[in-house]
Amino acid sequence: MIDSLPSAIDLPPWLQAVAARAGERVLPKLAVRGLDFHYGDAHALKRIDLDIPEKQVTAIIGPSGCGKSTLLRVFNRIYAIYQGLRAEGEVLLDGENILDARYSLNRLRGQVGMVFQKPVPFPMTIFENVAWGIRHHEKLSKAGMSGRVEQALRRAALWDEVKDKLKRSALSLSGGQQQRLCIARAIALAPEVLLLDEPTSALDPIATAKIEQLIEELKGDYTLVIVTHNMQQAARVSDRTAFMYLGEMVECDATEKIFTSPAKKQTEDYITGRFG
Amino acid sequence: MDIQNHHIVKSYDAELQRLMSEIADMGDVALTQVEHSLLALEGRDATLARQVIDGDDAIDTREREVSHEVLRLLALRQPSARDLREVMAALRIASDIERIADHAVGVARLSLAMPAGEGGFPENLHALGLLTCDIVHEVLRAWRATDAALAHAVWQRDDDLDRTHAVLFHDLLARMRQTPDDAAWCTHLMFVAKNLERIGDHATNIAENVWFVVEGESGLS
Repeated sequence: MIDSLPSAIDLPPWLQAVAARAGERVLPKLAVRGLDFHYGDAHALKRIDLDIPEKQVTAIIGPSGCGKSTLLRVFNRIYAIYQGLRAEGEVLLDGENILDARYSLNRLRGQVGMVFQKPVPFPMTIFENVAWGIRHHEKLSKAGMSGRVEQALRRAALWDEVKDKLKRSALSLSGGQQQRLCIARAIALAPEVLLLDEPTSALDPIATAKIEQLIEELKGDYTLVIVTHNMQQAARVSDRTAFMYLGEMVECDATEKIFTSPAKKQTEDYITGRFG
Repeated sequence: MDIQNHHIVKSYDAELQRLMSEIADMGDVALTQVEHSLLALEGRDATLARQVIDGDDAIDTREREVSHEVLRLLALRQPSARDLREVMAALRIASDIERIADHAVGVARLSLAMPAGEGGFPENLHALGLLTCDIVHEVLRAWRATDAALAHAVWQRDDDLDRTHAVLFHDLLARMRQTPDDAAWCTHLMFVAKNLERIGDHATNIAENVWFVVEGESGLS
């Protein structure tokens, strides 16, 4: 069974074990292979290899400047809007290399959604914030659109709080609500992968807890990748944790393993607060 | 960015170090209790036996203090990786040390209850006592030094202790068959031996916890 997998995707031992148990093929949703990334002369990512399993939460942690946000941004090629940035290697989404120039950006952005550190609602109504992206991808009737917006807002655990004020400006919402609106906007396009870049760093503990609960609910349907500075958050919400340092992937393993008994000393020193 | 062996927050280092030392000190007190209980037994020293019994409260208090300190560290520092394993091990080891001290009290009580002036002290019970004390001493040394190899060596010595215990048990049974009048005396010594054997089991638990701290895996083989 394992022998029949494409040779380009060598399964790590833990995935092989999962595959053996499940008795079926298990491929990572996203597979990063020998990825290098340059900001002009700066070599930001060095030969990164990483598997992101489907419908699980993978957290990327590491000190500032380690390349974790850069890696996240490669996953939807958001860097392509800037000059002088280049990625080499492969990022395989369901086995297809998204770094290939022939891979349509429009298609990629529909498959891979992104939520940023600071909530950035558009200066329009709550309803329009969610409907705007859908309109760019699909033609829906008025009723169809209303249904889709409601579905996305429900999925983002925001519906009950906004259902009576859909025509109000999104800017009237609290920070935590705005962030959930951004998540609703991303999932309204039915992406397969959702990227979260420090999604709670601007939020208070209650709003943070709501986002974390939402992450737990979403992982049944989406593959989530979260970059966070908050290690306890990584421990709480993720199934797997990747530790990066100076542009390199130091270690990626089950979150429980990383936080109880990491294999690498660098990981241990970072998560126990010994980096000086 | 340098990688250092101490935490960026220095008070966290101090708290962890204090917990590790507290466990080692508590272990030393328990070992003294075991040694004194055996001396009281061999010398039929009732005063020393009572001292051991009275000294148990202090160990119980220390165990409660360790539990409180572990709770505080978990709540306020959220330790992870090796720090977390050290804190977990401290909690478990404190419980083992408390049980070791309880067995010392058991020996002390038996020495007070033994029939007076009979039988002498069997050589292999003396050997069992020495071996037990040495194992406890060595496992505490392994904890202080976080020495997994030493912990493993101590863990393996439990087999010697079990064998010595088994031989003593059969000797005492044989003696009871030969001299039925010694039955009460032999029975008391059997209970003493059982207490020592249980102390050995707690020492192996401690060895397993030292291994867990260093290697990150439970269980030894």
